[in-house]
Amino acid sequence: MIRGGNGETIGRVVATEALPAGPHQFHFWTATDTTLGIGAIVRVDADSGRRVYAVVVDGRAYSDLATPLHEVVAAEGDPSGVPAPTRRTEVRLWTAAVLRHEPEEPVQPVPLAEVRLASQADVEMALRMDGYVRCEQPTGIPVGVYRAGGLTAPVSLDADFLLGPESAHLNISGVSGLATKTSAVEFMLASIFQRLPSHKGSVAAVCFNVKGPDLCFLDQPGELTEADRELYAALEIEPRPFDGVQYFAPFKPDGVNLNTLRSHAELVGSVQPLVWGLREVLNYHEVLLNRDDIDAKADAFLDFLADRVVEKEFRDDWGGTHRVRSFADLERLFRSIFDGLEQAGRSDVWRTHHIATIRKVRNRLINISTRCRGLVTDDGSVNDLPFGAFEDRAVYVLDVSGMDQLGQDLVFTRVVSMLREHLERGDLGVEHVVVFVDELNKYAPADGPDTYVRKMLLDISERGRYLGLVLFAAQQFRSQVHRRIVGNAGTMVFGRMDMDELATPGYQVLSPATKIKLATLPKGELMVRHPHFTQPVFVRFPRPAVMSGPAGVRRYPPAADVPFEEAVVRQLAALDRRVSPARIKDSMAGRREEDVRRALLATKRARPDDVVGFFTANLGRTVAREQVRREGSSATIPLRQVEDPYAT
Amino acid sequence: MGGPAPPPEQTAFLDGIQRYAVEGRFGLVPVVRGYVAAAALRREGDRLRLAEHEAEEMIVVPLERISPGQRQALADTGIPLLDCEAGERAHPVVDVQLAARAVERRREELEVAVATALLRSEPDSWLVVDGGLGGLTHLLGSAPRVLGLIKSHETQFLDGPDLEVAVTLPEGHRSSVFARRVGGRGSVYTWYLRLWSWEDRDLLHGLVRIERPATDAALAEATAVSRWLLAERAPLSAPDGRWDRLLYPIRQVETFLRAQVGGWW
Repeated sequence: MIRGGNGETIGRVVATEALPAGPHQFHFWTATDTTLGIGAIVRVDADSGRRVYAVVVDGRAYSDLATPLHEVVAAEGDPSGVPAPTRRTEVRLWTAAVLRHEPEEPVQPVPLAEVRLASQADVEMALRMDGYVRCEQPTGIPVGVYRAGGLTAPVSLDADFLLGPESAHLNISGVSGLATKTSAVEFMLASIFQRLPSHKGSVAAVCFNVKGPDLCFLDQPGELTEADRELYAALEIEPRPFDGVQYFAPFKPDGVNLNTLRSHAELVGSVQPLVWGLREVLNYHEVLLNRDDIDAKADAFLDFLADRVVEKEFRDDWGGTHRVRSFADLERLFRSIFDGLEQAGRSDVWRTHHIATIRKVRNRLINISTRCRGLVTDDGSVNDLPFGAFEDRAVYVLDVSGMDQLGQDLVFTRVVSMLREHLERGDLGVEHVVVFVDELNKYAPADGPDTYVRKMLLDISERGRYLGLVLFAAQQFRSQVHRRIVGNAGTMVFGRMDMDELATPGYQVLSPATKIKLATLPKGELMVRHPHFTQPVFVRFPRPAVMSGPAGVRRYPPAADVPFEEAVVRQLAALDRRVSPARIKDSMAGRREEDVRRALLATKRARPDDVVGFFTANLGRTVAREQVRREGSSATIPLRQVEDPYAT
Repeated sequence: MGGPAPPPEQTAFLDGIQRYAVEGRFGLVPVVRGYVAAAALRREGDRLRLAEHEAEEMIVVPLERISPGQRQALADTGIPLLDCEAGERAHPVVDVQLAARAVERRREELEVAVATALLRSEPDSWLVVDGGLGGLTHLLGSAPRVLGLIKSHETQFLDGPDLEVAVTLPEGHRSSVFARRVGGRGSVYTWYLRLWSWEDRDLLHGLVRIERPATDAALAEATAVSRWLLAERAPLSAPDGRWDRLLYPIRQVETFLRAQVGGWW
């Protein structure tokens, strides 16, 4: 068996008129027993000192058999006959795509010389990593290890091309069910957090958990094999879960049980409710209206509400004054308008807006508070991500897996828009934010209506690198994602792919052998395209050092929904185990649920030392029942004595 | 005789090639450039590996017909000179044929050298030689497992009914063993073997003649040897035109030697 990695000759370049050696591709043969395979990196040395690095993209084997008929004749038509005593001479003929010429100029056909398996130094040269790994201010971010012929060599991406400003974004494709996409992103985030050099500034991640418990246990250690630990050691990354993870999840429609699978008693305390009010929603009304109908009239009325009504002193035309802070306030305003118009007679127009438009907008908005109940509150209370106080190397997980598509769109749009606004102003708290979105084909499909979400994703993909807003997106089928969004991703990662997907035009540049390898890629292996890599490279990455979703759910089974009172007690107890459930229940007695929710939200947001005291204080003062005194009461003023001619 | 049987574990195959071309002339005297090579491939398992290889390039010229200056000029090329027989009088065609014969002799010498080297290192190995054993007479006494495989039948050793039996053998049959003289003082045992059916084809289709040193073992093993040679029909040496008589390993020796010729093709 021929092994390599230490520079010995494993093959020779061949060139015929039919299979010439070009500057970008060449062919070479090896012995039939070789460790070489698709994806291996090789080096060709010419006598002139010229050196060519290349990656194996195809391989063929054939013998001197001119036609299968000759085999039939030799075996006299009986395949089970006496086996041939001599094996036919075979050839292993490989096709390699050039990664780099050294020197780069002049570009010439590959010399017909000996072929060697790449050493670690060769891998760095071949992938141009020498320019950003071995320099004064290195910007290498390990993505995995290259393995071939007994060689294990770290492969790094260039942070300038992963997080900006040169290029940015990472797109990962792969079939579902192998946990490759999520695992790869988790590993990449760990790699970025640990290896992003200080001169590149601070970085945080915002992860949208859109399905199941995938990202719910990033702060919990996962199980690693010895092989994983060896990979971590090779990549110089410490295998540990994320230190600073903040979880956000909306409430369930009951307004008190959190809508997340991270609801186990031991963990739920670290989940903050994601609660928005009218203002947070109204600014992103495009998300809500563009699904069924884009209506300029409705749009104008919404702008009117946002500019002139919400959180302002507003007088309607019938003497009423409104200060709209919540959906409940808004509903009162609408009621006032409808009543006023009805009393005014036949007029169908209010402030140039037709009543039908007003009704339509009212229905849409009120529908939001119904469909997104748990995220959107009627009463104006808000609990949001800490925009402006993002922490370096922190992960913000938004668990929206329990929400419907409309709610997910709303959360995604608003959060990303807020991140962009803060990054533009430079007051987010960090200089780079990685936004991880799974199921990108759902948010930015290649076809279908041009939604606000898709427009926003396009904007990020095209301009985000200047801002430090970096999109890490995953999807099963890259062909089903908008081309410009995929095309703007500087780094492409591929896990195991579906053959049907590989047959689509986007994969025409890959050789048949590379496609086959992609279709059968084992768990933990990826194909990476990066601006510095002239050709895609296969790497192996370790399992992320965090607990997987399924393992987390087994270790921390989600808690069942509990009645309102009990849910409040548990959430407060999660903040401080010393609190007395009886005392909390006493303080809640006779209170309206909205008040309790508001107090709970405030307590979770503030995380005070005295949980019960803070909670009780936020409930507000109670109005005690008071009996009206019969005697000596001054509640009524006696009428002045007058003469009453009709009195009897 | 029985059907094909597995061949012996230790088997090697030997062949040689020769090339020549007239490079120029001194007057009428042709200057022939020759190349000869011989190789033996050893079968390990079911794979063939190179065991021995010899190759030479030479300038063949009748030295008695050229001047010392011309001889020196040829020597200055760095290519060894090989003397060859000169005809009674110069003849542009006959002289070339004589030079070619010298090249052929040198090729036979190289084959002997390769066979000797192989049998010295692997005395128990069978050695299948392409062609008769006439050139290996001095080896015959010490190498009972050398076997010559003759594909052409210009020379007839049988007459009458014996010849008819030999050339009409059905597929998988052999003739009786008979002896023939080689090299004036030695003899070999030989027999015909039909590898492939000749019906509906030429009479000599699939017919080979086998030679072995004249020993009792050769007589006793004629059937066994014939049976494993039948097994050597696969893989087929097609598309070579001689596929019905050319064993695949012998063809591989040829292929190897041709690949080494390089500039002579």
